[in-house]
Amino acid sequence: MLGSMMQPDMGAVMTDEGVRADALARWQQDGWPGPRVEPWRFTRVDGLAERDLVPATALSGAASGPDGDPGSGPGAVAAAGISAHVIRFENGILDPSGLAALPAGLVVREMMDDEQALSRLQQIAPKGHPVSDLSLAVMTGGIAIDVDSAVSSPLMLLFEGGETGASAHPAILIRLAPKAHLQLAEWHQSDVGLAAPLIGVDIAAGARLEQVKVQAEGAATTHLAATGVALGEGASIAGFSLCTGGALARLETHVALAGSGADCELSAIYMGRGDQHQDITTYMDHAVAECTSNQIIRGVLDDSSRGVYQGRVHVAPDAQKTDGQQMARALLLSRKAEADAKPELEIYADDVVCAHGATVGELDATQLFYLTSRGIPYETARAMLIEAFLIDTIETIENDTLAGLLRPVAEAWLAGGKDL
Amino acid sequence: MTALLEIRDLHASVGDTPILKGINLTINAGEVHAIMGPNGSGKSTMSYVLAGRDGYEVTGGDILMNGESMLEMEPDERARAGMFLAFQYPVELPGVGGMSFLRAAVNARRVEAGEEEIDQLGFVKIVREKARLLGVSDEMLKRAVNVGFSGGEKKRYEILQMALLEPTMAVLDETDSGLDVDALRIVSEGVNLLRDPGRAMLVITHYQRLLNHIVPDYVHILAGGKIRKTGGKELAFEVEESGYAGIDDAA
Repeated sequence: MLGSMMQPDMGAVMTDEGVRADALARWQQDGWPGPRVEPWRFTRVDGLAERDLVPATALSGAASGPDGDPGSGPGAVAAAGISAHVIRFENGILDPSGLAALPAGLVVREMMDDEQALSRLQQIAPKGHPVSDLSLAVMTGGIAIDVDSAVSSPLMLLFEGGETGASAHPAILIRLAPKAHLQLAEWHQSDVGLAAPLIGVDIAAGARLEQVKVQAEGAATTHLAATGVALGEGASIAGFSLCTGGALARLETHVALAGSGADCELSAIYMGRGDQHQDITTYMDHAVAECTSNQIIRGVLDDSSRGVYQGRVHVAPDAQKTDGQQMARALLLSRKAEADAKPELEIYADDVVCAHGATVGELDATQLFYLTSRGIPYETARAMLIEAFLIDTIETIENDTLAGLLRPVAEAWLAGGKDL
Repeated sequence: MTALLEIRDLHASVGDTPILKGINLTINAGEVHAIMGPNGSGKSTMSYVLAGRDGYEVTGGDILMNGESMLEMEPDERARAGMFLAFQYPVELPGVGGMSFLRAAVNARRVEAGEEEIDQLGFVKIVREKARLLGVSDEMLKRAVNVGFSGGEKKRYEILQMALLEPTMAVLDETDSGLDVDALRIVSEGVNLLRDPGRAMLVITHYQRLLNHIVPDYVHILAGGKIRKTGGKELAFEVEESGYAGIDDAA
């Protein structure tokens, strides 16, 4: 429970005691937000305080899946026929072997070996988010990744571990130097009680990050990710998340478009069945002029699952010529499934193009009849229409290598039932 | 000889409204039957009832294909048993690739018949060949199903599906609607190519003009949910001359 979380072994990993002590103090004051805290109205996490979770202290040695399984991170890399450098965390603890033999253009250090990393991570991290404070305070493992140039092969951050009574708090800072380029795959497939990754992405002028994230945690895992992104002048990020796992998952991403001409593509697909709860929350801060942001969100919900999309686009008074788009659509496959959408625009500039929309619907009965009238079995017809609903979103991924990692995960979900 | 399709005293409702009120019709292999009737006579309802669409409830009578009742069969089972409906308004399926759709349909049929599924390469060859005969362009084949097709292209695509699925009982619902003279000719030629001693067709239309191109063996006049009159192809000309008014009176 909370008490045990509040007594991390601070001595071992402290490099910036002030940063972590402040984070701990904030956490001790705020704790897990209750349902009356507006951003957490649809997604209840206060129950975590009742659970006897302890921040992980050791590698468990229990890898989550066989490498040959195309549903696992390394399996996906092998299946896609690409060579990616993998840095692995187990129960939120760094497997140091991943720091050897890095591809050219990458420098990775443990967080404690980089004096500025923690405070920069704290600056970029989503404000007022419990994981921003908690995972900084009790960090189970941390790295700072520096990208100096264009890195030709993808980097995979793989999160595994089987400590069901543990919470994992990996903290990662990724800095892209001006004009650097990185292809990043973030892959979560643990069975820990709580996975709470804190990730900061600092993209300097003209640099570009192409990123996919797969959230395929175990069926009992709570996944709460806090990601902060800072974009400099002309910097860009193309991010895509695919969420199929976990009992309850929330991916919260805050983006600061802080340099003119910055561009943020941030799309997501969530797929739920059983009693799963999937939440995509974003905050897009257009702080300066001439930046663009675009979000496409698609949800597919079966059984009694629930999906949430909350997206706020904030346009500051000086952020003229902003182009901010968000479109969320959810498809309910069951009468008991539920989708909540809260797209918000907060515009203080007058010369902007912003649009948002949200729809919730069911499969089209006429389309289903058309397919089945051709002899296609009902279940196949249904899967074809669900895939069609998702396909234009996956097609927004320009990077074929990264898109190729996602497709088997989505297809396996569509093929039905199998927990990844 | 068992009839290919036998409709016995068929009653059907949509919601609480009875639409079909006792249809009797026997169709043998190799025959082409036409059903003509005014708007609201139950023509489209009949096509949906035959295909097994949800919401079209059979309240009495029976539909037998090769002597077996189809009433308990789902639309996909009926299709795999040899039923095919060419839609009056073919449905657009954004995001569903045309080739994968056609292949899924053909393979479902093959699996049912205990045959091997056909692979992508072999399938492309078959489709190209049939598509050329029916005036379906490669460009259309590459698109999502019916998306961005003109009215005439949609109808040709229906006939392509029919050619690939090789049904024993094909129902063509208002295949002429929305077609200009040239498109009508192309679609009709496609249908005529598929006339076969082992296959029966039921052509549903409001106008006689389609029957100049697809010449039926029998013409039935449907009005008020019943077949009021049956004759040879000349019956279609009578309707063209004097309209449906006299038929209703006769009933």
